[in-house]
Amino acid sequence: MTKLNNALTLFFSLLVEAMPFLLLGVLFSSVLLLFVDERKLVALVPKNPALAALSGSLIGCLFPVCECGNVPVARRLLVQGAPSAMAIGFLLAAPTVNPIVFWATYTAFRDQPEIVFLRLGCSLLIATIIGWIFSAQVDLRPLMQPAIARMMPAPLKPSKPSGYVGDGPVPELLQPGTFLLGQSGQPLRFDGLLQSSAVSSSVLSKPLAVRFQLMLENILQELRELGGVLIIGAAIASILQVTIPREWVLGLGQDQITSILAMMLLATIVSICSTVDAFFALSFASIFTTGSLLAFLVFGPMIDLKNIALLLSIFRGRAIVYLFAIAGQLTFVLALLVNIYLS
Amino acid sequence: MATRSRRSKPFRLQDLGNVSWLLWLDITAILAWGVLLLKYWLTNKLNILLHPDYMWLAYSTGAFFLVLAGLRTWQVVQLSRSHGISGSTLQHFSLLPRRWSAGILLVVALLGLVFTPEPFASETALARGVTDTLTMTRSRPQAFRGGTQPGERSLIEWVRTLNVYPEPDAYKGQDVNVEGFVIASPDLPSGYFTIARFVITCCAADVYPVGLPVKLGEGQTSYPSDTWLRVQGKMTTETLNNQRQLVIAATQLEQIEEPENPYDY
Repeated sequence: MTKLNNALTLFFSLLVEAMPFLLLGVLFSSVLLLFVDERKLVALVPKNPALAALSGSLIGCLFPVCECGNVPVARRLLVQGAPSAMAIGFLLAAPTVNPIVFWATYTAFRDQPEIVFLRLGCSLLIATIIGWIFSAQVDLRPLMQPAIARMMPAPLKPSKPSGYVGDGPVPELLQPGTFLLGQSGQPLRFDGLLQSSAVSSSVLSKPLAVRFQLMLENILQELRELGGVLIIGAAIASILQVTIPREWVLGLGQDQITSILAMMLLATIVSICSTVDAFFALSFASIFTTGSLLAFLVFGPMIDLKNIALLLSIFRGRAIVYLFAIAGQLTFVLALLVNIYLS
Repeated sequence: MATRSRRSKPFRLQDLGNVSWLLWLDITAILAWGVLLLKYWLTNKLNILLHPDYMWLAYSTGAFFLVLAGLRTWQVVQLSRSHGISGSTLQHFSLLPRRWSAGILLVVALLGLVFTPEPFASETALARGVTDTLTMTRSRPQAFRGGTQPGERSLIEWVRTLNVYPEPDAYKGQDVNVEGFVIASPDLPSGYFTIARFVITCCAADVYPVGLPVKLGEGQTSYPSDTWLRVQGKMTTETLNNQRQLVIAATQLEQIEEPENPYDY
């Protein structure tokens, strides 16, 4: 009974903490949808995959949200035809590489500023590498949830036809009759769902009042969808927290290797937002190695249980396994290097 | 194009009622979340869920949800008057079907309205491991310059102090006056219990317990677990579990009300 009560308290505390940040993310995403032409943003992205990944990782500075909030924005970027390297880079780095998280981490680790910079640097590095790796898969659609894949434009050839980059509404997508994007030689699937990208690109020319109406609708829709999966993620995280004793996680050790693994496991289980996780990590500062704290701070925002549920609204399970595995290995290696050489 | 118009017509006719039902479900779910967040705030239950620094986020979100629900109601009423319910202007792509996610949101919000969060108790503390050393709480002991009188230190401040200078004998004989709840630790011999508090850094998911052992004086009886006590006495050192550590030799135990805000920071 106590366990049930504890699990529910944990569950609601995770939700009450995450809701504001989810709302913030949804607001950003909706403003992006209706007031910013993402195509311009997407068009500014360098063509080199590594640079695209890096620039995607840095976009987080414009959207100060945690991992509950970046999923809607990343989803929108993908649907708008952002290159995979950029979108993945954004998805992984944005929760960490942004001013709010920097400020929070700095507040927490004022005495160990190296942690703040290592956190930023490692997140940026890992996100860029993974974005780069994923750019090998030019057409991300097989990795996406079918509904998203249908809405994504066919991948463009590396050399973008200049007509596409043009500003303002994109005529090809406005009319159902011209859905065949000739440039890439690949017809887009003719599907009613494409309507949405048409809406989002033409909407910028609509009057303000209409745009506000659409924005309201979009906010509610994303809140509903992502709120639903957030609840499922929070439920799993709180059940696991109550059933797995924390002592067991901590007992895994102080040693250079197991401490890193333990902190990464802990980060995955507790699923707290990147905006506040620095304070949480601080409570382990006295017993855990610097590298393991860093692993917690770098890995947690990228992948945790709550976030996996949100990611499942974009990717198929297979892609998330890849993300999880690559991010995990890179984090581990970097944290180990820090443990060996810097502390 | 022909396929589209053929499809869209029956959709409108048969789903109009359905769509407006879903629109109201959305509104109710958002409204319920707004009410829930504000209710937790107004009944001081946010204390149990969050660190005070983040509370404003929670209740502003609650208020914002109410505004959203209001705006949406107004919009839906306007739209249905002009026969243009546009529940599908922007397409849906989601893991869960629409009615499911809206349903989950609503059900969880209602559950939250019925459920009263309870602060964690000794069982959780034991599961998470009470300790007097593990702690480096979010506020580093910046204010610690030996300025606080021993008798004024809270339990957390004692643990913090001990963390900075972990020699138990340095504190021998100092006055103690702390509040916390009782944990009957299985590791301690009879005549001892642990007085503990939870420290919260951001939300209840990360609370962890800190505590110090208390030695009962002559004629004092033990209290059941989870009783809130004020313990007064002197610090002493003893060897418990093969470890030399600081122990509070209680001279006076007083049962107190469970504080409104059970955590410390």
